[in-house]
Amino acid sequence: MSWRHVVATVLLVAGGGIEVLAVLGLCTMRDVYDRLHYVGLAGFGALLIAAGIVFRESFSLIGDKALLVGVALVLSGPVLVHTTMRSMLIRERGDWREGIEQAAEDDER
Amino acid sequence: MNEWLIAATVLAFALIPCAAVSLLAAPPHGLAALEIAGVLVSTIMMLLSEGFHRQPFIDLAVVLALMALVGSLTFARLMERHL
Repeated sequence: MSWRHVVATVLLVAGGGIEVLAVLGLCTMRDVYDRLHYVGLAGFGALLIAAGIVFRESFSLIGDKALLVGVALVLSGPVLVHTTMRSMLIRERGDWREGIEQAAEDDER
Repeated sequence: MNEWLIAATVLAFALIPCAAVSLLAAPPHGLAALEIAGVLVSTIMMLLSEGFHRQPFIDLAVVLALMALVGSLTFARLMERHL
């Protein structure tokens, strides 16, 4: 067993563990805003697994595209979370800005 | 069965809670579950590609990662007022 194989396996286990943790977080949280935190976490799990594939395959066709998928999922996570939270605020309040000024005034006090 | 296929199987089982939340909880909670499920399925495709050494699966993962983003953004936008 080469060192590349060991590193790839460690990254695979770490990435898979993070993704399972994200699903557990989705199940245990009760509020939708709490649940959305785990979308970004799942993307980092995919990136670790992609890094594991690159360690095993080097920069082959599969390795390059796996890295592309991992980076795309990590970058798309915050965009998705931000957009979804904004939509949920509009759905609940009619305008996502409502309540922000009041909260800022409360913070200043 | 190598370690990549075992990981793909574990992540496939992790899709079950996502499906349960999508089916049983309110629509906003289902959207959060859908977003996590999109990441999981893209990762499963990557793992199957490496496990079977089949290159076409990784192309599916690339397309799915982009389509999951577009689909989730569309649902989020629709959920503001219409769903």
